Amino acid sequence: METITADLRQPLCELLLSIADDKFLLGHRNADWTGLAPILEEDIAFSSMAQDEISHAGALFQFIAGVRGDTTADRLAFGRSPADYRCAAIVEVGDDFDWAVAIVRQFFCDHFDNLRLARLAASNHRPLAALAARLRAEEAMHVTHADSWIRRLGRGGQDARERMQAAFDKLAPLATSLLEPTDGVTALEAAGLYPKAAGDMFAYWAGNLSGVVADAHLRLELTPPPAEYVGGRRGRHTAEFAAVLAELTEVSAVEPEASW
Amino acid sequence: MLSVESVFAALRDVNDPEMPINIVDLGIVEAVRLARDAEIEIDVTPTFVGCPALPVIESDIRRRVAALPGVSRVRVSFVYDPPWSVDRISAAGRESLARVGITVPQPGSACSSGALPDERRLVPLSIGGDPRDAVACPLCGSADTSLESAFGPTRCKMIYYCERCRNQFEHMKRV
Repeated sequence: METITADLRQPLCELLLSIADDKFLLGHRNADWTGLAPILEEDIAFSSMAQDEISHAGALFQFIAGVRGDTTADRLAFGRSPADYRCAAIVEVGDDFDWAVAIVRQFFCDHFDNLRLARLAASNHRPLAALAARLRAEEAMHVTHADSWIRRLGRGGQDARERMQAAFDKLAPLATSLLEPTDGVTALEAAGLYPKAAGDMFAYWAGNLSGVVADAHLRLELTPPPAEYVGGRRGRHTAEFAAVLAELTEVSAVEPEASW
Repeated sequence: MLSVESVFAALRDVNDPEMPINIVDLGIVEAVRLARDAEIEIDVTPTFVGCPALPVIESDIRRRVAALPGVSRVRVSFVYDPPWSVDRISAAGRESLARVGITVPQPGSACSSGALPDERRLVPLSIGGDPRDAVACPLCGSADTSLESAFGPTRCKMIYYCERCRNQFEHMKRV
């Protein structure tokens, strides 16, 4: 199957935008740590992963632009109004340069990315499946990286453990915002473009997270997001989103024709 | 006489900007097509998605292929199907990387190789350390090495440390 039928184009773009926008914002947030991460090796690692996320977003924007035919990757990245972004609340909020928050946010997002990319890699649309498989191979290293930090800090001294627990307590209500479905996703599942997992996505995700959290002697209770963190997948964003988007699009706003 | 083979031969003059290996041995040249009116189309499958070296590689390809007699236009496309993997690096390519102390995972070990047909089932469970990541030091040959950081100077490489000769070296990620 190479062509995507007209009725599925919009739902597919919604789904891919949600993945791309999560990565775009997460990459931008993580890039703030370049030069400031706890140790040199981590500075390189975190910067490298920020680069991965932004590149992944770029490849997905490119794919979406190809499906839509009326826009470009750059315009999708920088030229949309806030209501046209599909990111989840967890990538919109800042970390105030709290390393525990940054690493826990990464942990939630990477594990979820791993799952949705696995589903896309099983798509019956071959170019999409190939791209997703490729993104997932790169993403796998992010998961390993996040897990090792969670274990190390959770099993560290009292200070580290307390800060990690505080980060989990702070982000747990935001984390489930990742699972909010995009419009028309059931049609994509039925058509085989985004095959359903054998089990429940939440259960896979929570199971993968809780294994690592237990190993790190920490506690995690996942609860549905409160009302103010719901709606990202339909363009309703947190109070912090406008500011981070303004920052992200600052250069393109000054010089719309700049080439990247 | 312009042919697919002569274009491939020319592409052996184009090196990766960050490693001493040509792009044919690196395995990123997926296809070369001769279209009408001496127009050359080249598909490149990047090592890493959105690798920052791509614009340089693209302009180096254009310059080299445009210099071939009879070429009127060069078109370079970046494709992700099939995805690149370390298995695509040729034996000669592995040797030229080893000479500067960059090691490459054994052929057949890439986690994305052949992934497409089989990945119709979900494999979402845990991802841990992998014994296949054990690497011999390219400088002294010792197997007593350890992973220093899974992220290195470029997106496709990791940093290892040799406990015997106490040197650091780079190892390509097993993708």
